[in-house]
Amino acid sequence: MKSHSAWGTSKSLVKFRIPTSDNLVPIRLDIEIDGQRFRDAFTWNPSDPDSEVVVFAKRTVKDLKLPPAFVTQIAQSIQTQLTEFRSYEGQDMYTGERVVPIKLDLRVNHTLIKDHFLWELNNFESDPEEFARNFCKDMGIEDPEVGPAIAIAIREQLYEIAVQSVTSAKESRISKKGRRAGEFFSASKTGGNAVDLVKLFGNKSSVIRKRKEWDVYEPIVDLLSNEEVDALEAKEERNIR
Amino acid sequence: MATGSNKSPSTPIPEPSAAKPISDAPTPTITIDLPPPSDSTPAAITTTSASAATSITAPNSIATPTTATAVSTSTSTSNSTARPHPEPLSSDADIIHIPSYSRWFAWNSVHECEVRFVPEFFDGRSPSKNPRVYKYYRNAIIRRFRENPAKKITFTEVRKTIVGDVGSIRRIFDFLEAWGLINYTGSSKPQLKWEEKESKLAAAALQGGDAAGGSGTNVTISKSKLCSNCKGVCSFACFASDKHDMTLCARCYVRGSYRDSSEFKRVEISEEAKTDWTDKETLQLLEAIMHYGDDWKKVAGHVGGRSEKECVTHFVNLPFGEQFDGPPESAELDTALSSQNLSRPTKRMCLSPLTDLSHPIMAQAAFLSTLVGVDVAEVAARAALTALSAIGDGKLKESLKISSGAAKQQESDIASNSDDPNSMEGDLAEARLQLEKEDEELEKAISGIAVQTKEIEDKIVQFEEFDLQMERKRQQLQQLLNLLFVDQFTLSLHKTPAQPKAGESIGEGVKAD
Repeated sequence: MKSHSAWGTSKSLVKFRIPTSDNLVPIRLDIEIDGQRFRDAFTWNPSDPDSEVVVFAKRTVKDLKLPPAFVTQIAQSIQTQLTEFRSYEGQDMYTGERVVPIKLDLRVNHTLIKDHFLWELNNFESDPEEFARNFCKDMGIEDPEVGPAIAIAIREQLYEIAVQSVTSAKESRISKKGRRAGEFFSASKTGGNAVDLVKLFGNKSSVIRKRKEWDVYEPIVDLLSNEEVDALEAKEERNIR
Repeated sequence: MATGSNKSPSTPIPEPSAAKPISDAPTPTITIDLPPPSDSTPAAITTTSASAATSITAPNSIATPTTATAVSTSTSTSNSTARPHPEPLSSDADIIHIPSYSRWFAWNSVHECEVRFVPEFFDGRSPSKNPRVYKYYRNAIIRRFRENPAKKITFTEVRKTIVGDVGSIRRIFDFLEAWGLINYTGSSKPQLKWEEKESKLAAAALQGGDAAGGSGTNVTISKSKLCSNCKGVCSFACFASDKHDMTLCARCYVRGSYRDSSEFKRVEISEEAKTDWTDKETLQLLEAIMHYGDDWKKVAGHVGGRSEKECVTHFVNLPFGEQFDGPPESAELDTALSSQNLSRPTKRMCLSPLTDLSHPIMAQAAFLSTLVGVDVAEVAARAALTALSAIGDGKLKESLKISSGAAKQQESDIASNSDDPNSMEGDLAEARLQLEKEDEELEKAISGIAVQTKEIEDKIVQFEEFDLQMERKRQQLQQLLNLLFVDQFTLSLHKTPAQPKAGESIGEGVKAD
């Protein structure tokens, strides 16, 4: 279904998948049992058999010496997230030349990372892991857990955007009657996040950012001391409660 | 990394066939020198691996590597497969040890067996899983492990730091662990501790057994012990450490791998220590045994409040059981036999608890008969009977005379005189009857004694058999212990020549460069 829009982009329908080179699902766990909190995030390959879930849960509990009640909880949580992913799988989503801004705002152990950059959505060869690796290398981050955390954060955001595009594709299908209306509808919906490349580069024909935007797009890496970490954790918990 | 090929071309390995013979000879390990991570690392490793790769026979086993072990158990964890290879445990962080069946490992290339065991990366089914990615994961895991080779690395640690999907990482991790490329050096420690604990158990059991044998039931351990770890009551044996001021039950001791296991002493807790046997209970026990014989359930029921096991142990430990030399675990068979041989005559001396003590004459007769032996007692009894009967007759005659004399003196006693002969005859008959009765009773008593001695003899035989079996099992256990000890000993022997060997291999590596 090709439509001509002002952006000159062609929106094609593709089967749903995470728009990265490997179709991995980001899984986030946040389980609390008897006052013990377990938070984790990692990537899962959806083509792994389901038996793998229980194996993984048991292994994690054993390695971290958690009480065994965690096993079922972890397995359940992973399963629900997986089934949610799978529910999107058969459906279509729009792709097109879309560049989306990705924000990073995470804290891993003692490292605080804030960043803001643009990511091309329809590049299915993109690799968040590679980005994360380079990021850590460039910023000189020593904590090896930061890399995966960054990759997962990127992946999660891409996942969300992909989900949005699926829903928008569904909606535009429903309102297919007025073609124009549909176009307009979908365009405005999906264009909400996307950056208008033409607008950016069209007039000025300069790829360099404006000076005032430098601060926004600059990565910030902070190493926190123990007290700051504790303070932040307390704040987070308060926010959640 | 230059090479992206799936198979390492330098190794002339025959095509993997299904029926590959597993070689039984344990090949010596290779000590791979790892200088601090620098550029020269790949070069040094590949040369050594290339040179050694030509003689690969063992690793191409089918399932998880089941190399020859002295005790042939095959499991898939690296712990057990690591056992037979006498690798020198050096604290030098530059030397990493891997088992000989993993010699094929090279940083830059992927070996055949990797292709076989982790095929998902090589079959091209998934675009994201390719050999390059596999190598990245594998090298990252191994590098992470080698940062701290003394410590076992867990899967969760690894997967937190590697960017990638956890399923594949887990499979690679398991593969590497099974082949000893990671977590290899950490495996011997738990076995050392088990070994020490075993020898400690053996020593303590012997000591405990001797002590128990010497003092009979005087196991004076006061109050039940509480384990400081699990807060449960230590029932069987507990391990006490004065240095740490801790008491652990046997389960906690085994589960928690306590490093300074040498400080823990095994303390036997005998169940009898909890409640001592009162005399009344002992008497009940004996009565019950007399009535029910070997049916320990009924005996336990009769005694009331004691389990079968307690009854048995107490019965065995009773004073007349001193000849049993304490609980069977400690006694050597020979000494037990000899002691029991000696004990036979003395045992009979202590038969008194089993006989009925109520009748004084019976007690006396029983005592006398035990003193002299069954045959003599029989003969003596018969002689006594005949003498008694003789005396009895004599007494009758005397009484007859006396009574007749008295009768003659008194004419008014004519009636009684005339009665006398009748009564005298009746008396005679009565006396004879009574005599016979006494005979019978005596015979019964003596035969009863004989029967009881026979029963005790049977019991002795049974206990002897038990002792024999226990001794056999003990010796088997000892043999197994010795085997383990020998393995550990050869391991520690190989420690010492490790240093000069390290120097040689460094020199070789340099020359090769």
